[in-house]
Amino acid sequence: MRLQSIIAMVASALLVALTMANTSLAGPPDEPRIVDMPALGKTVGKRGGTLRMLMAKPKDIRMMVIYSGARLVSYNENFKLAPDILKSVDVEENRIFTLRIRKGHKWSDGAPFTSEDFRYYWEDVANNKELARGGLSNKLLVEGKGPKFEVIDELTVRYTWEQPNPLFLTVLAGARPLYIYKPAHYMKQFHVKYQDKAKLDQMVIDNKVQKWSSLHVRKGRQYRPENPEMPTLQPWMNTTNPPSERFIFKRNPYFHRVDNEGNQLPYIGEVYVTMSTSAIIPAKTGGGESDLQARYLRFDNYAFLKKAAKTRGYEVYLWRNGRGSQMTILPNMNVADPVWRKVMQDVRVRRAMSLGIDRSEINEAIYFGLAREVGNSVLPSSPLYKEEYAEAWAQFDVDLANELLDEAGLDKRSSDDVRLLPDGREMKITVETAGESTEETDVLQLITEHWAALGIQLFTRPTQRDILRRRISNGDTIMSVWFGLNRGLATPDMDPEELAPVSPLQGTWPKWGQYYETKGVAGEKITLPKVQKLSDLYSQWRMAVSVEKQTEIWDQMLSIFTDQVYTIGIVSSTKQPIVVNKNLRNVPMDGIYAFEPTAYFGQYLPDTFWFDN
Amino acid sequence: MSALPPENTDKLPHYVSKEPFDMQSIEKLTPEQEKIYFASQLTLMWWKFRQHRVAVWSGVFLAVLYLSIFFSEFLSPYDMTKRNVKHIYAPPQAVHLFHEGEFIGPFTYPYKVTRNMETLQREFAVNTKKPQKLRFFCRGDKYKWFGYVKSDLHLVCPPKKGSFYLLGTDRLGRDMLSRIIAGARISLTIGLIGITVSFVLGIVIGGLAGYYGGWVDMIVQRMIEVLQSIPSIPLWLTLSALMPATWSPIFVYFGITIILGLLDWTGLARAVRSKLLSLREEDYVLAARLIGASPSRIIGRHLVPGFMSHLIASATITIPVMILGETALSFLGLGLRPPVTSWGVLLNEAQDINVVAVYPWLMLPVVPVIFVIIAFNFLGDGLRDAADPYK
Repeated sequence: MRLQSIIAMVASALLVALTMANTSLAGPPDEPRIVDMPALGKTVGKRGGTLRMLMAKPKDIRMMVIYSGARLVSYNENFKLAPDILKSVDVEENRIFTLRIRKGHKWSDGAPFTSEDFRYYWEDVANNKELARGGLSNKLLVEGKGPKFEVIDELTVRYTWEQPNPLFLTVLAGARPLYIYKPAHYMKQFHVKYQDKAKLDQMVIDNKVQKWSSLHVRKGRQYRPENPEMPTLQPWMNTTNPPSERFIFKRNPYFHRVDNEGNQLPYIGEVYVTMSTSAIIPAKTGGGESDLQARYLRFDNYAFLKKAAKTRGYEVYLWRNGRGSQMTILPNMNVADPVWRKVMQDVRVRRAMSLGIDRSEINEAIYFGLAREVGNSVLPSSPLYKEEYAEAWAQFDVDLANELLDEAGLDKRSSDDVRLLPDGREMKITVETAGESTEETDVLQLITEHWAALGIQLFTRPTQRDILRRRISNGDTIMSVWFGLNRGLATPDMDPEELAPVSPLQGTWPKWGQYYETKGVAGEKITLPKVQKLSDLYSQWRMAVSVEKQTEIWDQMLSIFTDQVYTIGIVSSTKQPIVVNKNLRNVPMDGIYAFEPTAYFGQYLPDTFWFDN
Repeated sequence: MSALPPENTDKLPHYVSKEPFDMQSIEKLTPEQEKIYFASQLTLMWWKFRQHRVAVWSGVFLAVLYLSIFFSEFLSPYDMTKRNVKHIYAPPQAVHLFHEGEFIGPFTYPYKVTRNMETLQREFAVNTKKPQKLRFFCRGDKYKWFGYVKSDLHLVCPPKKGSFYLLGTDRLGRDMLSRIIAGARISLTIGLIGITVSFVLGIVIGGLAGYYGGWVDMIVQRMIEVLQSIPSIPLWLTLSALMPATWSPIFVYFGITIILGLLDWTGLARAVRSKLLSLREEDYVLAARLIGASPSRIIGRHLVPGFMSHLIASATITIPVMILGETALSFLGLGLRPPVTSWGVLLNEAQDINVVAVYPWLMLPVVPVIFVIIAFNFLGDGLRDAADPYK
């Protein structure tokens, strides 16, 4: 043990000496982030090897950024925020944030990463009229005001708000983070302020775009690493120009993490991301064509994957799904049809619909009895979990449901035993789905039968995700199917935005969400007091300074949200199959598969995965 | 055309002499010869058709299938939508006759279901101790025959407290055999309705173009070209997206048949046109015109029978194309959708690697599709040979 630490010290000292001697030499920053492998239950690995993954759409290469998990600050294993790319963050009164960069940290092309990169983003991108036409991101505004930005020195920047902004670090750590820096040395060539006008015009023509701003956006995408020339701070950098069947990501020689023995991460040298189609991916994975795969694998693929696992040399793990609910039905309270709108806004109707679903049959038939039969709420591993939230109106009680519907004035029935709306139409609901899997349509078919006992006729209409998104934001749907809460593992400092109307993409209240997002320009004002309460609580959370206050607000919001059944959750804690090459080490057998806060694999540090062969 | 009388002169009425006509006035035929020479065209076709053994058997097979669609509910052991959560993904169940060397009539052994938590599969063990006899002409799941007559009579029912899954069950525990029988009703008729639409359009439009020629022909030809140049899959996509979701599945079904028919007539219209173009120059057409027959009579009475064999062949080839079209559309998820059950819908649900590897019996609906298409092709072959009995 002692010998090891001496070696580690010598090694890091040697590294520091080397970097000081020759700054162009590849390597981690002088003050790297040391990942203590034994403490995380991981093993120190060997460098090298190629990781193969399968993806379906060109824009899926953003998964590399999500999986990589390198953020300015990131969630540690206990879901607490800790500096990652940054050396440290000092927070005063939840409103003054001082960000310190690691000494000697370099972009993947070897250029130094300094406060200039933050200044460039702030002055020349975020506050440039042509590049940021909508103004600052909503997340950077507190009561409509942005922060004051200062460069303290070459490695230190400071953001100061007048009011507390507890969201700031959370959005920097997001699976889709807010980028507040850009590689200035690279991006300046596309910026009108730094580039010769004639040369820039020529580049605009060469790249077949309209304006220099589009060129700047296109060349500088950080969330979707399409541009191989763009320097990055992620563990792997893209080397392939789209469109391509296969994207080759190579190790970033300047990545900022090292293991406890001083080896620079990532262990794996290359990542091949091969494009396929979503329906074929389970088959290809079963054929051993992927070393690490979770996306596009469904629970019902498990039996097949397990069958081929031995001969094809991979393991199948079952991770827990981190969403608040596997799928939810969203009654649209802002639907254009005034009669339906009134019906959907009636809490008794929503409760009855939830009570009328036989969740145990769905669980048994589709999820092998492994899921939890609860509504859409946070999961038991979340510190905010309370049984009453999960089980609110989630029991199966047809009599109570019918009683509630009768009470709500829907007591007349047609000759086919279908309830009549107040204006005499039959209660026929078209529920729209993204039509991506038979899972959704199967569940809906079961619900169709369950709801027939309530006198509600259900029709399923599969469309496509993008079309559904558009129909939702136009308020065209009566009901739609979406995922449950993304932040099923919420901690008090995570953004409770999903519980309040904030965006037109929320199928329950698209118009109210739009009103909030556009600051009252479009959409409609909230008319229900309970929803107004949620909206007010959300504003209060945005101003909250202490964890106690945040917890209290989360509690109140969850209580209203689940009691009012704004979303009808079906089951939660379903299992996600993860296929892992049997030689790939450090991938946990049990994990949580979610976009946020774990960024799918990001939480489990894919840069520490290594091949043992 | 120059041989025809000018159009604008006063026409004589259509004239056929009423005088008796003795065909045997010149040469007397023996009774054997008479039987052959005086046989109607239908009789001749039947004689010729009988010789094509495979075609006859194919015809019988198809007739039985088409007959069965009137009694789908009666023939199927379960209701096609009946789910059995206990028997999800049950493999096909064998029917036995002898239990421990003793004949006791058709029976099944009960399934014992266990859940394997390692592979997350349901495992079905057969309990060979307890034979359960099948019931015939029995009361089973209730149904409404053609949506009106309420009944619960089935040809064969599962044993009491037992199960009878001859072709296994699907992911919701529904009996595959019952679903295939129910699917036949949709899949087999969709071809007929589609072909009627396409034939009516094809013969009328192609006939007009071929008979009149000139600018009529010109317009029809360009119309056909435009229709044919539209790529079919995106067109199907749009048309099926246009059908509102609240339509009852039966309306959607009619919509799809009509779409298939509306898109399919172009090829036939071209064939009819080219055939007519050559046939209308024949002497017997000129003769018919000279005695004052109307165009519709000439086309319907003299020209169309002249290429009947071609029409029959093309019909018997088009029906399977229609069936495949429906199957393909539903397979792609653009055609019929559950709860309507057709073979295409069943196959759509089977297009999954899980099915191929773990639950192969779900691909069984492909068997009737193959047999029906082969049968139609043989039948068409036989009919085409028979339609030209003088050859």
